[in-house]
Amino acid sequence: MSAASVDTRYWRFCASMGPLFVLVFYLCWGILGHNFPPFSPDAPASEVATYFRENAGSVRFGMVMAMTFAPAYGVWGYSVAKVLEQVIEKDSIVVQLARVGAAWTVITLLVPTSFWLTAAFRPEALPDWMIQMLYDMAWLLIDLAYAVTSVQLFAIGAGFLADKRAVPFVPKWLAWYGIWVGFMFVLECVMPYFRNGAFARSGILNFWIEFLIWMAWVPVLTAYMFKAIGRIERGE
Amino acid sequence: MTATTAPDRASMATLPGDSGVWFFIVADMCAFAVFFLVFSAGRAAEPALYETSRRMLDLRFGLANTLILLTSGAFMAQAARTAQRGDWQRTRTLLIVTMITGLPFGLSKALEWSAKMAHGVTLTTNEFFTYYFIFTGVHFLHFAIGIAVLIVLMRTATDTAKPADTRLRWIEAGGAYWHMVDLLWIVLFAMLYLLRAA
Repeated sequence: MSAASVDTRYWRFCASMGPLFVLVFYLCWGILGHNFPPFSPDAPASEVATYFRENAGSVRFGMVMAMTFAPAYGVWGYSVAKVLEQVIEKDSIVVQLARVGAAWTVITLLVPTSFWLTAAFRPEALPDWMIQMLYDMAWLLIDLAYAVTSVQLFAIGAGFLADKRAVPFVPKWLAWYGIWVGFMFVLECVMPYFRNGAFARSGILNFWIEFLIWMAWVPVLTAYMFKAIGRIERGE
Repeated sequence: MTATTAPDRASMATLPGDSGVWFFIVADMCAFAVFFLVFSAGRAAEPALYETSRRMLDLRFGLANTLILLTSGAFMAQAARTAQRGDWQRTRTLLIVTMITGLPFGLSKALEWSAKMAHGVTLTTNEFFTYYFIFTGVHFLHFAIGIAVLIVLMRTATDTAKPADTRLRWIEAGGAYWHMVDLLWIVLFAMLYLLRAA
């Protein structure tokens, strides 16, 4: 493909939205919202409710920012899909799945975030159990919507594995890593059965490993997207 | 069918199959290593519960599953060797045998799980059975994917549109994955069925 035939304007800007999303989401949703790590499911309702009442302002700010920046993940996903179009056909279903997987993931971030925001909106008027219920509901949704993101992970992995270049845009290990992350998300299926231990929402497997392997994938893939965009501009 | 000799790779110091698949295999085994650590920590905390629960497992199922997977794995190794010689029709036959000898694992697992559930033993019975169902369930998912991979490889083996080295690479990669399924089961068998609490 000739260098002149691909308009890469804004691609880098869009690609940079991925790491920005991870950073903002970690700080606002994670730290300010007390979701990184979350309250253990067996924590008493009073503990969750007290946190929301005493930190309502920071939780609200955190969730507002998290909701504002959630679309950044979709913008990033679209930039990855644009690079993928240079590997396989633009109309390929794999490219479409990579794109909609990113868009659907944004919804699965926005909706639960609004539940946490609801809990922080007037926590002084809500009973403890209701705040706990909103907190649980948000976590059940954000975790169990994993399959939506897996669609994106599988599509991106499969798409970049089809790269026939001598030096592919994305190394094979990273393409397979993404597929592995999507596969690992299946463990979230057992999350509703546990209130403590490794498979609980705050456990080593269903929180620490699952979230970290996904959050690491975004900036690493972004670094390769920047390199790929440069190569596309040079007509490689 | 004419035996198309695959490229001589004797001098190439590379992993069999595809390097990316090996990354997936190593990452997956790391995940299982975490499973095993979590299980060991739980067993150290409640040895009596784990020992009582372990005795409730039917060792015959565990042993049968091990033999099934090892037999299937042996045919897979033969298939990879045959592919290296470029005998694609025989490779395909061996892949079919690999699948046929491996499929009873699924049946055995279904029977074992149903027997447990019929006795009221489920995911939430206790911590041991939580791990038992989750670990063997995740392993079963690997097994099911492995069966799908074998079906794809059967077509790949005789797909003359693909270069010989591509076919060999994917058969070796599929073989490496299938052996991972064996290996993970052997560790699960030892950990869940055999290892007595101190």
